[in-house]
Amino acid sequence: MADQANGRDEQHRLPLEGVRVADITVVWAGPHVTQLLGEWGADVVRVEPMNRIQPYSRGGERVMSKAQAMRAADQGVLQSAYPDFDPGEDPWNRSPSFNAHARHKRSMTCDVMSPAGREAFLRLIEQSDVFVENNVPTTIERAGLTWDVLSEVNPRLIMLRMPAYGLDGPYRGYRGFGTHVEGMIGHHYLRGYRDMTPEATGDAFTADAIAGVMGALAVTMALRHREHSGRGQQIEMPLAEAFLPALGEYILDYTMNGRVAPPQGNGHAAHAPHGVYPTAGDDQWIAIDVASDEEFEALCRILEAPEWTRDERFATGPQRWLHADDLDALLAERTRPHDKMPLFHALQDAGVTCGPVQDELEALACPDLEAREWFQPITMEGVGTHPYPGLLFRMANTPNRLHVPPPKLGEHNEQVYLDLLGYSHEEYQSLIEQGLVGTTYPPEVVPRTF
Amino acid sequence: MAELLEGIRVLELARNVAGPFAGKVMADYGAEVLKVEAPDGDPSRRAGPFLRDEPNAETSALFLHLNTNKQGIALNLADREAQGIVRRLAAEADLVIEDFRPGQLDEWGIGWDALSEGRDDLVFASITPFGQDGPYRDYRASEITLQAMGGPLHLNGTAEREPVKSGGNVAHYHAGLSAAYAMMLARWRVEQGGAGDCIDVAVYEAQMGFRDRRTVYMTATAYVGRSAKRQRPGMRMATGVRPCADGYVNLLAGGGRHFRGVLEMIGRGDLAARPELGLPLLEMPPEFVEEVETAWLTWLLQTPKQEAVAKTQALGVLGGAIFTTADLVNDPHYRGRGVWETIDHPMTGPIEYTGRQLILSDTPKQPSCHAPLLGQHTVEVLVDRLGYAREDLPRLRAAGVI
Repeated sequence: MADQANGRDEQHRLPLEGVRVADITVVWAGPHVTQLLGEWGADVVRVEPMNRIQPYSRGGERVMSKAQAMRAADQGVLQSAYPDFDPGEDPWNRSPSFNAHARHKRSMTCDVMSPAGREAFLRLIEQSDVFVENNVPTTIERAGLTWDVLSEVNPRLIMLRMPAYGLDGPYRGYRGFGTHVEGMIGHHYLRGYRDMTPEATGDAFTADAIAGVMGALAVTMALRHREHSGRGQQIEMPLAEAFLPALGEYILDYTMNGRVAPPQGNGHAAHAPHGVYPTAGDDQWIAIDVASDEEFEALCRILEAPEWTRDERFATGPQRWLHADDLDALLAERTRPHDKMPLFHALQDAGVTCGPVQDELEALACPDLEAREWFQPITMEGVGTHPYPGLLFRMANTPNRLHVPPPKLGEHNEQVYLDLLGYSHEEYQSLIEQGLVGTTYPPEVVPRTF
Repeated sequence: MAELLEGIRVLELARNVAGPFAGKVMADYGAEVLKVEAPDGDPSRRAGPFLRDEPNAETSALFLHLNTNKQGIALNLADREAQGIVRRLAAEADLVIEDFRPGQLDEWGIGWDALSEGRDDLVFASITPFGQDGPYRDYRASEITLQAMGGPLHLNGTAEREPVKSGGNVAHYHAGLSAAYAMMLARWRVEQGGAGDCIDVAVYEAQMGFRDRRTVYMTATAYVGRSAKRQRPGMRMATGVRPCADGYVNLLAGGGRHFRGVLEMIGRGDLAARPELGLPLLEMPPEFVEEVETAWLTWLLQTPKQEAVAKTQALGVLGGAIFTTADLVNDPHYRGRGVWETIDHPMTGPIEYTGRQLILSDTPKQPSCHAPLLGQHTVEVLVDRLGYAREDLPRLRAAGVI
């Protein structure tokens, strides 16, 4: 049974083929889990209300005009980057922050807060292996979709809950994005400049990225265990707690030595030079990390600074580390006239660890990613054909191409309600008439600022 | 009590952060992980921070943290006899994880081709900076250079200065998790009757697919042909990091639909009633933004961080406080949920580590065991598992095999 389109045989089918995932996820972390499951073969069914917009999920809650969006982009803000900056008639289907994670998913509209929607969702649970959600805990509780209920419906279900801080504890009800969670676990503080307050450090959403992969891993581990035990289970994985191991060495430094880790800036515990240095042009930089005397000598050679190798302050690794600020200042003057890409290749050829600081346009044009076909084009009706971020890893014997575009709101309603859940045409029609099934939001829930 | 990964055997030929983190996650949830180190140990043993800041291969925090629940043996992989030992250990393993430069393990006769011979079910994962092929394949890289090339480093920090790296080793932790996920996918397929596979994780590409602003802006840039830039602090009205009475908070107040309630709560109902509040943030008159900012800071500077967060959360505002590691480790929420785990160790004594990420209803995580001492299980593995005679050990040691 060779899959001609992808060159896969049965032994190398996508690993999660045959696994169905019910998805009530919002914003970034939860949708990333189901993205990772979907692109490796799972049938992900996104369950979305159409009588309200899930907050920050389809990007439709504040829609800017093209002119407004372009003015924002002039200031370097890509808040509203609809294709050609045009929100169009259905911005919720064109949002890059949604479409970045939504490939390989189906969408059904279903409001689990309504009795009819809850009934449909329970039917979906009967036919699902996995349910992923990352709402504030009370949302799932109010909907009556907690583990005690769902495990009665389907004892083999794997239910992954991803609250920000936990299903219990003082912060249980706290709302936040990944960036706020990073504050509450000490990561924001660590990623500051060493000589400035945390105000100079903007948002990151590292917690969403880490939790996404950890969540997908947790699901596969639990699926595998289910094959042995016959039982599903609930997995509680708060965003905050999924991230903590990435801070392990700093936490041990505190519990072992009582040291409160200061902001790390671009410094390193032993290497120098280690940082981000200016290159020719506006806001252009190269990162350099020197770990050995050989690398330092090569750096001096390429930058034509033989005097540094004779300087007492830079004679050994520990000396360079002690005088890192002096060295950084000298180095910045030598990197500044160079274009970053030729300097990157010259330093690499000489054996110096370095890399250009790349923005997204540069990444899209990177020859290495192109050679490895990392970006993959997806055509989405109404959005066009664009390159999308590729897979986190490759399996040598399991060719895997992105081929299912992000779903439009309710795009798979008929497939799901009629074919999968066994609704009759009359029942389906009745859901449409009740305003629970459809493919557009009512105009009043999509506030436009123009 | 059964554990999630009971019965899975992992051979770890990996160093530093990414590969060992993949091994740790699996070991923490019940897999049997055997870590192979060079005779002078994993480089993370030399990274620190060390107990009392005294360099010691057994007390490096980075190593202790990343290698819990593993067994460890020391082998010189460049040695032919050691390579034979690795082949025998791999024959008993379900998953192999390695992080050597592309081609290195093949030269040693312990790469995918050698280990998968006659083994349809082997799962083998390689983690490298740029992957097993492509023009950058042989380039060097590290945490900061990979964040620069692959991650959103250009967006971190303030527009007034150089961009700043994200804290710690997040690129490598993330790549390690990605490898663990890939391995579990392939293992799941094996247990369903399919074949194993050879997995190629490039930290560069994992960073590119990193679901923070990176993939979002990547897609956005593909849609509009423009990329985002670093912003100045305080650019968004009453949103982002601000000082408060006892530290800093990061609150998404000004741009949210709950801001009117916030202004009323801080006693500035007059501002809440102003029509400018209805404009898009970027189009508000600067005088109005200034007035709001002043009111916001006045309130914050009189309010401790926990109180500022609790009061704004009660109004529906997204946000949090800026914690240090001390704030974090002593915080009653995390402590009450039991996220810290005390693990004893012969050199450090009992110390608190980050414990579980997952609370599992059917297979709760079992208590952890400390990272192996260098070569701690060498004898056990060679003699009890592989059947070497005890008398062979001095010879292997003298020959530099172990």
